[in-house]
Amino acid sequence: MVGLSEGEKHFIRGGIAQDLRTDGRRRLQFRAISVETGVIPQANGSARVRLGATEVIATVKDIVQIEVDPAAAAEINAKLTVAVQIEVVVVMRGDDDGEETRKRQRWGEERGCGDDGRGRDEPCGRLSWGNQAFFILIKGKFPFLLIVAQLQHPCLRVEVLKNFLLSSVLHCKDAYSVVKVGQVCWDLYIDGLVVSSDGNLLDALAGAIKVALSDTGIPKVNVSLSATTDEEPEVDVSDEEFLQFDTSSVPVIVTLTKVGKHYIVDATSEEESQMSSAVSVSVNRHGQICGLTKRGGAGLDPSVIFDMISVAKHVSRQFISVLDSEILAAEAAG
Amino acid sequence: MRDLQLSLNQTQRVRLEAALHELQTVAPAAAVTVADTIPVNDEDNILKGHGTSDQDGEVVATLCGVVERVNKLVYVRTLRARYKPEVGDIIVGRVIEIAPKRWRLEINFSQDAVLMLSSMNLPDGIQRRRTAVDELNMRTIFEENDVICAEVRGFQHDGSLHLQARSQKYGKLERGQLLVVPAYLVKRRKQHFHHLEQYDVDLILGCNGFIWVGEHVVVGENANMMENKLNLSAEVENFTPLETRKHICRLANAVRVLSALGFTLTVELIIETAEASVSSNIEINNMLGAEFYVQTAEREVKRRADLLRKKSGAR
Repeated sequence: MVGLSEGEKHFIRGGIAQDLRTDGRRRLQFRAISVETGVIPQANGSARVRLGATEVIATVKDIVQIEVDPAAAAEINAKLTVAVQIEVVVVMRGDDDGEETRKRQRWGEERGCGDDGRGRDEPCGRLSWGNQAFFILIKGKFPFLLIVAQLQHPCLRVEVLKNFLLSSVLHCKDAYSVVKVGQVCWDLYIDGLVVSSDGNLLDALAGAIKVALSDTGIPKVNVSLSATTDEEPEVDVSDEEFLQFDTSSVPVIVTLTKVGKHYIVDATSEEESQMSSAVSVSVNRHGQICGLTKRGGAGLDPSVIFDMISVAKHVSRQFISVLDSEILAAEAAG
Repeated sequence: MRDLQLSLNQTQRVRLEAALHELQTVAPAAAVTVADTIPVNDEDNILKGHGTSDQDGEVVATLCGVVERVNKLVYVRTLRARYKPEVGDIIVGRVIEIAPKRWRLEINFSQDAVLMLSSMNLPDGIQRRRTAVDELNMRTIFEENDVICAEVRGFQHDGSLHLQARSQKYGKLERGQLLVVPAYLVKRRKQHFHHLEQYDVDLILGCNGFIWVGEHVVVGENANMMENKLNLSAEVENFTPLETRKHICRLANAVRVLSALGFTLTVELIIETAEASVSSNIEINNMLGAEFYVQTAEREVKRRADLLRKKSGAR
């Protein structure tokens, strides 16, 4: 947790104001992105995304779930569980002070995730607070720093990822139409792992999940219903035939970090330390907004937010095309 | 090389591998990995130093690094280790704590370095007695998180490392960026402060691998520091000129590329790399892209081959 001196902070702010950031990028330029697919052989789909020094791995595992409660299952054709784990060695820089720490602790206590005493430890608290804007905590598995978000949870804070993932599932109708609705459904487990953090984690994670989904093969399933409906249906999972997700319409997340009067994309952790607020916009290929979240203490004028959204739309178009070409390149290489 | 975070295409990968292979043959490194045998002459009595072990009569490396031989002593100097200070080294560090009569600095050593109030010249340059008032005003000189450069004075009896800053050229560094590279990439030389006049940039290569690239400050202007600070808050638009900033970013990216490739950082090589990026019309942010990495590696191969040819020609 290294701080910055006044001189360096001034230099960073000046660079953003002059449209030339410390590594020579302009305000709306991303760092070099590199994508690898199939990095975890045990998973059905996986991807590693590097954005400068930020490195994340996402995996997708699919399991055929037999729903015992048909009423609940009729609603959902696929269930999603998202977990994001942050390596303990990853040091997250934050613009925190004593008040933040106390808030964090209260937040942890409300959710009953500090009962083993570990949850209140400083690093864990910081990590969970840093991510609560995007993920909600269900189990206080703090020794592993596990942050879990479940779709059904009625919490607004997961709006971004919820919309993000809902749309990704909605667009793979082919994959689950083979499963009898109401009795059997897919259970998708998406895990993210932050290997090293140099800012802009959410964009990298969303990108990694998108690539991992495109890498995922869903085995073909044949369900043979037995005569009596009480019995569990017989499920035959094919080893050879796979269906692919259509990830072309899976959105990406673009985070605009506001520093001074200007906002930048793909902020490094040093730049993030200078932010007044950040808006994460999830945009799909057609320029539709799938989610929006804001973090940081300072308020934003509505006109600024609209401006940011239009910029995010514009930037996302380039980002999606870069990501798509990287996916193709990674598939060709793999 | 290990932490090269970019995706090369097929031709670039081939070119980079060829360049690196060439480097290996031009200068066969005395590098060893764990369990490598270190060739020694059995007739000499040798002393086994750090990172070596005796296995069936052979000297075997227990660390990854470069084999060093000093008279009879054979040891392995690890490359990714922390910085080992020597007296007289010029270092760049970051203040992490203000303690009574001293500042504690992070310098990538195994412990924090200490800069005593009594071992630095006060910014106004006037010889003063270090009184209690001075002690109370220490924060006006250096605050927490400030980046400063100083010289290694020596080790105290208790093993702590002391620094000194008894010259106008030492002191707080502002208006620039700090880069952290592995300490082994910076060799000890006569000159560590570089004022690159053509760019109006100060480049300080700290022996501890902390490298400062910043706007040039005229020595002696530090006395006006306090006034500057007031201006800073009053006039936010007091930023580095864009032209200078471009040079700073270009030089900083040159350092990033060279350190990622594991080339020793000298001021000549840094300038050469930055100039090469200008002459081949590479934008500043594209210097961190794959193509420039490969070009830099190839240029270094050529440079070392030329050097070798000159040497053999001279003989």
